[in-house]
Amino acid sequence: MAFYDSLFNAFGLREWCDASAGSAKMTMASLLAKTNPDAADEGPLLPFPSMDELYKACPSFPQSREFTAGVEEAFLNAKDVLKTVLDPLTQPLSWLLEGALFIFLAAPWWIVVPLILLFVWYVCRSVAVTTFVTVSFVFLAFIDHLDAALQTLAIIAVCTGICIILGVPIGIAMAKSNRLQRSLLPLLDLLQTLPTFVYLIPLIFLFSVTEPKLYGIAIIVYAIVPVIRLTDLGIRLVDQDVVEAANAFGMSSRQKLLGIELPLALPNIMAGVNQTIMMSLAMVVIASLVSAPGLGVLVLRGIRNLELGVGLIAGLGIVLLAVILDRVSKAAIARVSTDQTFK
Amino acid sequence: MVNSPKIEIRNLYKIFGSDPKTALEKVKAGMGKEALLNDTGHVLGLQNISIDIHESAITVVMGLSGSGKSTLIRHINRLIEPTDGQVLIDGEDALLLDQDELRDKRRTDMSMVFQKFALLPHRTVLDNSALPLEVRGVSKSERHAEAQVWINRVGLGGFEKHYPYQLSGGMQQRVGLARALTSNSDIMLMDEAFSALDPLIRSDMQKLLLDLHVELKKTIIFITHDLDEALRLADHLVILKDGAVVQQGDPQSILLTPSDPYIEAFVSDINRARVLRVRSVMTPMDKKSKYAGDVSPSDTLESLIARAEGDTSFKFRVLDGEEPIGQIDMQDLVKALVPRVSEAVQQHL
Repeated sequence: MAFYDSLFNAFGLREWCDASAGSAKMTMASLLAKTNPDAADEGPLLPFPSMDELYKACPSFPQSREFTAGVEEAFLNAKDVLKTVLDPLTQPLSWLLEGALFIFLAAPWWIVVPLILLFVWYVCRSVAVTTFVTVSFVFLAFIDHLDAALQTLAIIAVCTGICIILGVPIGIAMAKSNRLQRSLLPLLDLLQTLPTFVYLIPLIFLFSVTEPKLYGIAIIVYAIVPVIRLTDLGIRLVDQDVVEAANAFGMSSRQKLLGIELPLALPNIMAGVNQTIMMSLAMVVIASLVSAPGLGVLVLRGIRNLELGVGLIAGLGIVLLAVILDRVSKAAIARVSTDQTFK
Repeated sequence: MVNSPKIEIRNLYKIFGSDPKTALEKVKAGMGKEALLNDTGHVLGLQNISIDIHESAITVVMGLSGSGKSTLIRHINRLIEPTDGQVLIDGEDALLLDQDELRDKRRTDMSMVFQKFALLPHRTVLDNSALPLEVRGVSKSERHAEAQVWINRVGLGGFEKHYPYQLSGGMQQRVGLARALTSNSDIMLMDEAFSALDPLIRSDMQKLLLDLHVELKKTIIFITHDLDEALRLADHLVILKDGAVVQQGDPQSILLTPSDPYIEAFVSDINRARVLRVRSVMTPMDKKSKYAGDVSPSDTLESLIARAEGDTSFKFRVLDGEEPIGQIDMQDLVKALVPRVSEAVQQHL
């Protein structure tokens, strides 16, 4: 006898319950109970009326495994539609990632590395940072990890670029409309709190694991949040007196946005970009589970094959990349901010 | 001034809150500011303001903080939309302009100077000053040339390449002034433009503004909470209290005949000798008198006292150019220096 038998009896549902007795799937627990009938205990004094507990009293009641199965089925039913819409939309992302990976690897190191160093110098104009980046690259190349590091960098570059292209306009729109901000904030909160592995699950069903866009989307969705948030914040924080002056002199919305709001919000937007870069690095390592190339693959190999050295050295490489990306973007923020010190 | 006013403000009301239209009915039916706030939660910003602002004159709107003066000036260029009333600029109702027309009006016909300067922190002095022309789409070389003229005029030559944060408050406001002048508009709105500056700098800026006014003859609306500043600058003085006009007119006459205790209290601690001028106190010539000398109608009483060395037995002849227009008796002068204080104010003091 199950605990909730009397409940179903009281509502006069006994007949409905017993109509489908024995048709449900066997669970592991009931199988064990069958082979060892003595061990079947009474259970707790007052079991929580969960789906499984109610099922015990009434075989017509769905088990919780049917709930999970239902979610899965719903997703699989929607999959085809989603795929026909998303596949062509996201195809350029695959091309971009493939292209970037190809360029970073096909070009000889003595072209790629100096180009990267030039870029670093251009954005931060700091001897110390550029020297640090040079030394790090020489070290990575010396221990034969340059290719993997460049692959990781290529993916981050593409994904961060797309995050900025999508995120800044979204942030601007949010700053201009309180309603949009109110409706988007919960979504951004969700994206930021969802565990990174969970992103991958629906994506694996939607796209083939061999396609680069699978990890591309996972990285972008995960990393785009800070650039949206900080663009929104930056524009809202622009001194309202200055905006009023712009209005008083008859500036159009476009002139205000390009001439005042974006330049004044730039330090905040750059802080968002810095966060976005760091988050894409975090995700690109996890995305090695779904065939993202780079240092993450080596870390994964270290875990899977218990190759301690491989895993640790690749981890060190990731740390180096993280420090490089952080220093360079922070130096760029500092340069932008001193260009327009606000008092 | 017989010509029609440059700007006419007619029965202007502004009520802040969620349902200003309903609140407006109540205010028009006679509900006061506090009652409105307590009953409906609406704030009465301005009530029934009517002011004529004449071309090429400095109109000063004075009031304490919360009197609605900054709200009022923002109605002229519609940074704030009124609840009810009219603002006529050159006879045309500014409230009927659509967004594009309004933007054009702001670009060409009016400029503004702000209490907190409101300069663009990421632009140089030159680019800040050139802003009004940039907005209109004037080419870079042309707008820089024009801005340079006004930067030099406000005494900032040599600072073109500086950023606002590198300048002192007084210099920043000179940039604000240069920016307004570069726009070459007829109307200049000045919202507590000198209030954030220390007294010496403020005095310099007032002199600069008066010099510029003599030279350019712009229509200036100047907001201030400082009576000394108001009296120094004003051709026409408007005194606001709780969003309503208490008294307006020639500053000298407001000083001599304050219309209510609020203004009496305001003007009672002013150095009247420095503000009042001969023309406000002079009497018609009586032909028999002997004159100790000739004075101009715009001389301050203070300068006369200095000339008479404190002796009250003298009389002076008042000459407007070559023509005698009146006389001034030192005894009348001394009487004029005594502020008229009603009993209500005396108790208050």
